[in-house]
Order: sequence, then structure tokens, then C-alpha cells
Amino acid sequence: MTDVERLLTEYKEAHQGGGDADPRPYLARASGVDRELLAGLIDAYLAEAPRRPFSAAAFAESRAAPVAEQVERSLAGAGGMWPALLPRLRDRARLRRSELVAQLAARLGAQGAQQDKVGLYYHQMEQGLLPESGVSDTVLEALGKIVDSTASALRKAGQMPGPGPPRTDEGAVFARATYGEPAADVPAEAEALAERGPEEWDEVDRLFRGGA
Amino acid sequence: MAEFEELSQRHLEELSDEQLVEYMRRAREAGRHEAMKPAVAVLVYGYWDNLVNRARLKLRNHADAEDVAAEAVASAIVSAFDGKSVGEFRSWLHTILSRRIADWWQAKEQKLEKTRLPSEHQGDEDVWGREPAVDFEGEALFARDCVRRALEEIEDPRHRRVIDLYVLGRNSAAETAALVGDGMTEANVHQISSRFQRRVRGLLEGGDTSD
Repeated sequence: MTDVERLLTEYKEAHQGGGDADPRPYLARASGVDRELLAGLIDAYLAEAPRRPFSAAAFAESRAAPVAEQVERSLAGAGGMWPALLPRLRDRARLRRSELVAQLAARLGAQGAQQDKVGLYYHQMEQGLLPESGVSDTVLEALGKIVDSTASALRKAGQMPGPGPPRTDEGAVFARATYGEPAADVPAEAEALAERGPEEWDEVDRLFRGGA
Repeated sequence: MAEFEELSQRHLEELSDEQLVEYMRRAREAGRHEAMKPAVAVLVYGYWDNLVNRARLKLRNHADAEDVAAEAVASAIVSAFDGKSVGEFRSWLHTILSRRIADWWQAKEQKLEKTRLPSEHQGDEDVWGREPAVDFEGEALFARDCVRRALEEIEDPRHRRVIDLYVLGRNSAAETAALVGDGMTEANVHQISSRFQRRVRGLLEGGDTSD
């Protein structure tokens, strides 16, 4: 058995034994072409590996749990991939939601109570509660500049997949804490403002709900 | 349309990937969003570590690997709802991951083009960061292509099965020989495996070592 075969076998045993199975320590034990060969074989092995049996306890502690929640929100919501994408872009930009909202409000020229409303609408975008079709290019361009994306990429992400039936538990979703940051940073008055009809909309409402 | 029937967690765990996606689609169409949750969990958890570890082979740190894996699994599941056929879900998922990794490197390169490199900014690397580890980037991406090409070159389906079961699978040489049957021996399995790895190595070195 060659060194590469031995390392591959060791890796497969670690992987099948459960746990993290980080391949990098195994790669570190090889060099040159052996290392490349091992990387290619581990990669192909992982791509063929079957789905791991579900464990509720392990799932609850896994980084897969918040990802699954984002996917579920994307499928159930009105904003396509936004629930999966926006929190990640925000994390990449190293911004708390309150910091992002402050920047977004400033770029949109929102002042006073309007800043709270920007916070509400952005929260709804992350939760998949705000339809993409209502959000203007102005908002998406401003948001793209903050999180290092583009309005067109954000628009496209918000459109996927095709709309499903409206969910019946929007209130519950709205109240749910997300990513360690409670929804409490969105004042109740802002929620009430957002429930006004189009005839009562101000500029912020139009930017987030009135379309392009 | 058939009425949606909610399944128990235990029943969901026994479904194939494609059946899980179909179950989620039907739950969504029926407006039963809560019923989608356990199915999404089974699918995401089931592939999460494999995706992260594949990404770790090609990206420079764990955070980036998790970030790209999260994007890939979300994209793969959500796009399976577009109405387009994605074929085998696992294969689709890993294809999306490969694309996202390539996108990650492309975005990195574009960002670097917009800024001066550290070597042009001596003594201030904390501000500018390190230059990309090109060798590391190429390591697994090129190796993956070489493995794929070597697999495509295998003409004998029994030999291909040996590679799938033994080299890329979870079976011992003895188990593989028994599963393939038709006169396959443990020694044959080792020979076929060695020949395959020599071929990949030859491709990695840029030479033609077909025997």
C-alpha cells in the first residue's frame, strides 16, 4: 500500500466514524504530487459519499441547523433566496443588523421614524416576508454597496424560486429571533406604520413596497 | 393534485434525496410550511460535513468553506423548486458547490485586481492582507479534474465499479471483489486501484502514463 492509499484509507475511516473529518491534516502528511493526488481522491470520495443518517441532537448543535432554517425560510417566504443570502452577506461585511440598517437608512435619506421603518423592512427581507417585486432598485443598489454585491444579483436572488402559497404564520416568523440578534431592534410602531395602505405610504414605504 | 400527507421524522429519514425534494415541493404547494422543516433538516444535515470538507480542500480557511457550503446547499435545494429537472440531487449539489468555489476564487481575483498587491505595498501587510495562495487554490481543483478524466478513460465497467466501490467508496478490497463477482479477486482490485492512481498521478504530472 502506498502512502497515498494509506492516508486515503485513514481519512475514509475517520469520515465513516463520524465527527468533523477535516481532510487538511491528512493532506499535511503528504507533499508534492502525492498531496495533489490525495486531495483529488478525497474530493472525489466526498462527492460520492452517501447522505449521513440524521441525528436530531447532532443537528441541533451543528452549523447545518441555521443553514437549514434559512433554506426553509427561503422556500416558505416571498423573498426567494434572501433569507439564505442576506444574513451571509451581512456576516461577510462584518456588520450587525443594526449597523447595516443605519447605513442603509443613511443611503436612502431616511430620517427619524423612517429609520425604524427601514429596519423593519430590512428585517422582513432577511425573514423572507417582503416580496422582491415591491423592493425598488434604489434599495437594492444601496444594499449592494453596503454588502459588496450588486442590485441585479440581489434582485435575481429574491426571485427564486417561483412563489408558493402565502404562509399563514407571518406573525410568528416576524417575532422570531434570528442569528443571535432578536427582532426587538424593530420598534412596534414601525410595524404598525408598515401596515398602512398605499394611500398612506411615505417615501420609505414606496421604496420597499412600491416596486422599481 | 393528491392531498399532502405529512410524514414522521423516521419515515422522512428513509426517503431518497429526490423523494425528500418532492415531499418538500408538495408540502410547499399545500401551504404546509412547517412540514417542510424536518425534510430540509434531513437533507442539509446529511450533506453538510461533506460539502464543508470538500470546500476545505479548495479554500483557505474554515469560515470561507462553511460560507460557500451554505450558499451551495441553499442554492441547490431552492433551485430544485424551479421546475427544472436537476437529475440526481447529490450530483447536482456537488456541482453547485464546485461552481460556488470557482465563483469564490473569481471574486477574489477581481477584488485583487482592484487593489494593489501586498508585494507592491511593503511593510503594510496587515492592512492589505496576504496575496492569494495560488498553489493551494490549484491543488484540489486541478486534482479533481485529473480524477474525473481518469475515471472517464476507464472502459471496462467492472473496473469502473472497482474504483467506485473501493477507491472512492467504503468497501474493503475483499468486499469489492465479492460485490463485483465474475472472477474478480482481491489482487485484481489492488491492481486496478494502483493502475487508476498511477493514471491520475500521470495526469497531475502533465505526462501521459496510460498503460
